[in-house]
Amino acid sequence: MNLREKMKRRLKLNRPSLRARARPPKQRTALGQQFTAANLPVSLSMQVCTACEHHQYPPAELCGNCLGDTLRYREIDTAGQLLSRSELHHSLWEFFKRRISTKPWPIGSVKLRCGPVIIGHLGEGGLHAGDDVAVFSHSDASQAAVLIIVSRATPIATPAQRKDIITALCLDEPAEKKGGI
Amino acid sequence: MKDYQGVVMTTPVSLGYQRQSPHGAPWFIGMVLRELILRAGLSKPDIEGLAISSFSLGVDSVVSLTQHFSLSPRWIEQADMGGVSGLVALRRAARAVQAGEAEVIACIGGDGAAHRSFEQTAANFSSWSIDAAFPYGAGGPNAVFSLITARYMADFGATREDFARICLDQRYNANHYPQALLGHKTLSLDEYLSARPIAGPVHLFDCVMPCAGGEGFLLMTEDRAKHLGLPYAQILATDERHNSFSEDSVQQSAGWACYRDALYQRASLGPDDIDILQTYDDYPVISMMQIEDLGFCDKGEGPRFVRETDMRFDGSGKPTNKLPHNTCGGQLSCGQAGSAAGYLGLTEALRQLTHKAENNQVVKARTCLVSGYGMVNYDRGLCSAAAILQGADS
Repeated sequence: MNLREKMKRRLKLNRPSLRARARPPKQRTALGQQFTAANLPVSLSMQVCTACEHHQYPPAELCGNCLGDTLRYREIDTAGQLLSRSELHHSLWEFFKRRISTKPWPIGSVKLRCGPVIIGHLGEGGLHAGDDVAVFSHSDASQAAVLIIVSRATPIATPAQRKDIITALCLDEPAEKKGGI
Repeated sequence: MKDYQGVVMTTPVSLGYQRQSPHGAPWFIGMVLRELILRAGLSKPDIEGLAISSFSLGVDSVVSLTQHFSLSPRWIEQADMGGVSGLVALRRAARAVQAGEAEVIACIGGDGAAHRSFEQTAANFSSWSIDAAFPYGAGGPNAVFSLITARYMADFGATREDFARICLDQRYNANHYPQALLGHKTLSLDEYLSARPIAGPVHLFDCVMPCAGGEGFLLMTEDRAKHLGLPYAQILATDERHNSFSEDSVQQSAGWACYRDALYQRASLGPDDIDILQTYDDYPVISMMQIEDLGFCDKGEGPRFVRETDMRFDGSGKPTNKLPHNTCGGQLSCGQAGSAAGYLGLTEALRQLTHKAENNQVVKARTCLVSGYGMVNYDRGLCSAAAILQGADS
C-alpha cells in the first residue's frame, strides 16, 4: 500500500483503533506548547513569577497569585511528595488502550516542594502516597512534554538516565497494531 | 441574603434518556421546552425568560436557540456549569422573577450523545485539562476521581463496600423509576464488588454512563402558579461557592462546608429536618463528600454514615436511620446526560415535593436538599451549589 492509498483508506475508515501506529495525545494549547519547548533542555522547567516568586502550573498567561504578566520559564526543583496514585484499566485514547491491554497504566499526583500540584505518569512501581518523589519532564512519542514521577533516589540528572525511564514506560514509541492502516 | 418570597419552582420535566442518540442538544432542549409549555398550560410568548445549560451546543448558544424556537424572551442566561448548572440557573432565574425582569422562566439542561462525543468532551474540557491532565492516560474524569477516591479511602478508611451502599440503594430507587437507563437491572453487592476495574479503586458501577437526555423546570411567581393551578415547591435557601479549599492538595471538601450553616439558618432548618437528599453522584466518593460537608455527619464519618443509613426511597433497607437519597437512582443509575445531569436532582426533588413521583414517591416528602458539584478544570471539581426546597401544599 503506497502512502496515497493508505491515506485514502484512513480517511474512509477513520477510527483510531484501526491505525497502525497510535500515539499519546498530542493536543496542547499554545501555552502547553511553550511548556514543551521550555522543557526540552532541562529536567524540569516551569513558569515562575518574577514579581512574587509564585510557581505556576499548569502553564498560564498571568501569574495565578499576583495576576502580573510576569511569568518566565525557569529550571526548578524536581522534589515533591506523592499525594495519590492510581492505575488506569480503561482509557479513552487508543495509545493507552493498547498499552493497558498488557498491563494497567500507572499515574499519580504530586505536590511539588516549590508549590504546584502536578499529575504525571508513574515512572516506576513501588511508590505509595506520602513517598518522597522527584518529577521530571520528557517528550513522549507525540513530541509533547509530559511529567514523570520517580522515587527521590532514582538518578535523573542526565538526559540518558531520563530517556531510559521513558523507554521502559514505552512512552517514546507509538503503540503498533499489525495490519493497521 | 434576601429570601425567595413569591417565587416558586414548578413543572418538572425529564425526557429522552438514551445511551446514544442521533439528535443534537437543541433537540433535547426544545423537546423539554415544548413539554414545559404543554404541561403548564402556557403559550410560547409566556416564556419571558430562558436559562440553558449544555456541553454540546458547539457554536450555538441560548441566543441561537431563541431563533431556533421562535422565542422572544426578555431575559436569557447560559449556565454551562456541569453539575451545578441546574442550581445556578435556579438561583439566577429566581432572582430575575423576584425582581420582575420576567414572570415565567424556563430552566433547561440538555445534551446529545453522538458516537464518540464523550471522548471529544473529555479531550477538550478545559485548557488546563488539555495541557496537564488529559495527556496522562487519557482516562477522562475517571482518572482524576480515582486519585481523589484513593486518597479519601487512605485518609478516612472508606472501603469499596461503603461506596457500594450508595450505589446499591440508588439502583434500588432506579428500579422504581422507569426513565432510569439502568433501572431494569438490579445490582447486588457481589456484582458491585466483582465489576471490572476502571481506574484504581474506581470500578464499573462507581462510574456514570454518559448518555443523552433533557431536564427542565419552570420558575414563576407564586401567583402565576396558583392561577395556572400548578403544584409547586418553594425555595427556602440556596448558595454556591467556586474553587473553595484551593489550598488542599487533594480535594476532600468543596464549597458546601463554607456555607452550609448559613444555608440551614436561612431555611430555619437543620440536617435532621431534611426529608430527602439529592446529591450530585458523578462518583460515590463525591456523594459521600456532600453528605459530610452538608452536615449530615462530620468530615471522615461519611463511610460510617452510609453504613448506618438506609438511603432507599421507601425505607425498606436494613439500617434503622432513614434518609431517602437520590430517589430516582441518580446519575449512577439514570445515566449522565451532560449538563442535564446538573438538573436531575432538582427535577426529581420537584416531583417528590409535589407528590408527582410515581413508583418511587417518598411518603410525606416535605423538605428536600439538592446539591450540585462539577467542572473538573484540572485536578478537582471547582463548583458547588445547594438549595433547600419545600413542598407548598401542607
